[in-house]
Order: sequence, then C-alpha cells, then structure tokens
Amino acid sequence: MSSKKKVITLRSSDGEIFEVEEAVALEWLTIKPLVESGCTDAIPLPQVTGNILAKVIEYCKKHIGASESEDRKILYELESWDADFIKVDQGTLFDLIRAADYLTIKTLFEFTCQTVADTIKHKTIEEVRHIFRESNDFTPEEEKEIRGKSWWLQGL
Amino acid sequence: MTIKALLHDMKPRRSSTQVASSSSSSSSASSASSADEGLSRSCWANMPLELLREILSHVEASESAWPSRRTVVACAGVCRGWRSITKEIVRLPEASGCLTFPISVKQPGPRECMQQCFIKRDRSNQTYRLYLSLSNALVDDGKFLLIARRCKRPTCTDYVISLNGDDVSKSSCTYVGKLRSNFLGTKFTVFDGQAPHAGAKMTRSRSMRLVSLKQVSPRVPLGNYPVARISYELNVLGSRGPRRMHCVMDSIPASSIEPGGSAPTQMELPLSGPDLFPSLPFFRTKSTITENHFSGPIMSQEDGSLVLKNKSPRWHEHLQCWCLNFHGRVTKASVKNFQLVASPENGPAGPQHEKIILQFGKVDKDVFTMDYRYPISAFQAFAICLSSFDTKIACE
Repeated sequence: MSSKKKVITLRSSDGEIFEVEEAVALEWLTIKPLVESGCTDAIPLPQVTGNILAKVIEYCKKHIGASESEDRKILYELESWDADFIKVDQGTLFDLIRAADYLTIKTLFEFTCQTVADTIKHKTIEEVRHIFRESNDFTPEEEKEIRGKSWWLQGL
Repeated sequence: MTIKALLHDMKPRRSSTQVASSSSSSSSASSASSADEGLSRSCWANMPLELLREILSHVEASESAWPSRRTVVACAGVCRGWRSITKEIVRLPEASGCLTFPISVKQPGPRECMQQCFIKRDRSNQTYRLYLSLSNALVDDGKFLLIARRCKRPTCTDYVISLNGDDVSKSSCTYVGKLRSNFLGTKFTVFDGQAPHAGAKMTRSRSMRLVSLKQVSPRVPLGNYPVARISYELNVLGSRGPRRMHCVMDSIPASSIEPGGSAPTQMELPLSGPDLFPSLPFFRTKSTITENHFSGPIMSQEDGSLVLKNKSPRWHEHLQCWCLNFHGRVTKASVKNFQLVASPENGPAGPQHEKIILQFGKVDKDVFTMDYRYPISAFQAFAICLSSFDTKIACE
C-alpha cells in the first residue's frame, strides 16, 4: 500500500489547528459523517479546547488498533500507558469526559467514566459530596431515614 | 449550511439538563480526606444528569460484590438527584443477584443462581445471625443481613427477626417479621411486618394490642401479615428418616415459578417514626384485632399459593444413610439439613419443580449454610430455616 494516509484537519474552540489520520477521526462518531463525505476544510470543534483536544488525539492515536490486539504484552503496556495518561487533575478529567461525550468516542468515554467511578470507590457520603460539590438536599425525614439505616454498613 | 452550524445541530447540547446544585460546600465537607482537597474543583457541580447516570452505572457495575458495594449505598445517600438515579440503576436482586439496600433482603432472590448465605447460632443468647457469603468459602467474614432472637412464650415460641443486630425487638423500626411456632413445635407461621406487595390480607396480631395499649411507643411495627406456614411431619420411617416439611408461601403465587411468572416485591422498607404515620389505623380499629395466629389460610384459594416440599433424599446403600446432594455446601450430617423444591400441587411436574429453591445444612457446630433463590426472599428463607432449628419432630 503506497497511498499516503489521508489527514483530517481539526480546529479547537480556541483556534488551534490539529491534524489527525483519517482512521483516528473515523472513530469519533460525531464527525464521522463529515470525514466520510470527504470534507477537506478544517472541522471546527467549538466545544473542545486545544489542550483537551491534544489529549484526546494522543489517547486515540495510542489506542487505534492496539485495543483490539490479542497480544497480552501490548494490552498490558496499553493499560499502564492509560494509567499514566489519566493522572490528571479533576478539571481535566471532567473536560475529557465532556469531550469524549461530545465527540462520541466510546473507548475514551468509557475509560474516563470508569476513572471517575474508581475515584468514588470506598468513599463516604460526605467525601463524595465534597468531591462533587453536591449539597445535602434531603428533608430532615429523609435524612433521618438514611442515617437510621447506617447499621446496614456496619462492620464493612 | 456551514460545517460549524452542522456540528451544532448534530449534537444537541445539554445545558438545559444541568444538575441544579449549589456549589456551596456543606459543613460536613470538611470531613473529606485531605488527599482529595487538591483534586476537587467545582467542575463536577455542573455535571449533566446523563453524565452522572453514566458514572453511577460504572460504579454500580464495578462494585458488584460486598464489601465494596457499600460505595453504591453511599452514592444513594449523597443527595436527592444521586439517590433517584442510583435507585433507578440498581436492579432487583432477582435480576442482578446482588443485595444492595436493606430492602433487598425482603425481595425475591436471584432467578439464575442461588444466593449463598450462612447462619451463625449463638446458644448463649439464643440469637441467630444471617450473613451473605462474600466468597465461595462455606464461611467467611460475611455481610450481615438479618438477626433473629428466640423468645420462649407460655404457649409458643417466637423468633423475632430484625435488620439491626443492636436492636432486636418488635417495637423497633428495624423489625422485619417473626416466626412463631405452635406449642408442639410442629407448625410454624411466618409473619411479615409489612404487607406483601399483593396477596395476603391483614391479620392483626397480639403484638398490635400491646402497642395500642402503650400508644406512646415511639416506633411502631406496621403490622403482622402471615406470609408463610410451615409444618413438619414424621415420615413412614418414624424418627429415623429425614423429616418432611411442607411450606405454604401464602404471599407468593404458584404461578411465580412458571415461565414469565413474577413474585410480589416490596420496594421500600416502612418509614419509621410516629410523625410519619399520624393516623395509624390500629389505634382506633381495635375490633379488627384477631387473637388467633393460626386462623387458617389468608389467601381465599390455597391452591393459588406456592407450596414448597422436601427434595426426596436417596438411601445410600454404602453409607447406610439418607443422602441429599448439597454440592459441597453442607459438610455435616444433621437432621436439620434440607432442600426444598416447588411442589406441583395441581398439575404435572415440570423442570421448574426440579430447581432447589432453598437449601440449608450444617457445616460446623453452630454454623449452617443457607442458599436461596427466586421466588423467595432472604427473610422468608431465614424464617423457614429457623423453623428447622426449633422443630421437635425427629430431633434425636
């Protein structure tokens, strides 16, 4: 195969220009129809900033082809690469989820959601409220009922 | 149409569905560990509900086993929005095989497998504790589910069943129900403190009168609804062979085990506190109190109820004893061991009558395994097993 790989141009909300291989862009279901229609202009992504788009592209380039690999060594390496990749602050993690959701990138969306789910693991109600800045909006009766069931978690 | 406009159209934004949540931190937030301080930002405060649902689905799916399943319970206690989404995501035990909230112990067990539990008997204070097994071992740390305390009365024996090991009394809000035996210990009735979803009609019990005399009791049991009757019979071999059990599950229709059948499912535990029940009916309608617990079937046509009976043991020539195959879940021979299957009361037996619905057996001096499945609940299974401790038939 000598034909040069087709490149898609993307423009972030802050005007940064990115180039990705067509194969990568085809994984993003939101822009897939545009890519397939042979669009040559820069595709504007008004919901994604340049630094987040760079992360998204980094993730997708690493994962294209590798996720389907059956080579355990490759999968193991990918897993540890993912672990490093997602060592980001909560704000970036949130932006990544939003970007993955907006661009409909299934693998990244699942991965980032799972990362947040893992953040909640073993946390108490107060800790979860704090992380997500949720305030307690239960009525005193509801609160009493929930508190009254604390024995359910005794000894765990 | 420009590309930009096209992109806007393709993916409608969700700003209208933002979680209405103030970012003001509550006073309790200070208790969060310092490790999270640097990570937390108010970005999550404006999380769209669909994203929250997605994240909670991941929590639910990845924390399928206790003790880490406590995280799901914590999520349901964060705020109203989280609670309603979590409650929507968590499936019934009959579908998921997971016990999540306290109400799970009153809901039908898993359809596809046995829920493995064990019971620890404490002879010193006459209590029995039911635990959910956390591993494939016969006994492990377990997740505490229910406790029963034996109370000997002049004419009968009660086993009061509660959700809370620290408070086993009929006047507690954690009262679930009770098992009552007759004087001879041959017949038992299981009472549920809460009306089954459908079926059984209310019979007021003696305890109701007690409460109505006290009237000031801060926590009031909601009632006592007979939901099952268990009787023991000697078999033809007298006390030497396995004893025969006959359980009529008054609250569960026989059709529940047919393909496409369903069993009544309670969805909420009763709320506690007299303020939430300003007009408790039994304070006024004393005339409806029935003294007799054994006043007959509560469903008008008994043949509509599910009936459980023993799986017949085989006589083992080599060992010279009656044997049931417990597939490694029971290790000690005991007259208390049993396996129950659905009885084909008025029709031909089908494959649904082969499936073991409850099995109980001894694994150590005061430890017993209890495995149950749909259509009975952990509470109903526990009550039936308690009757095996109490019955006098064939106790050698």
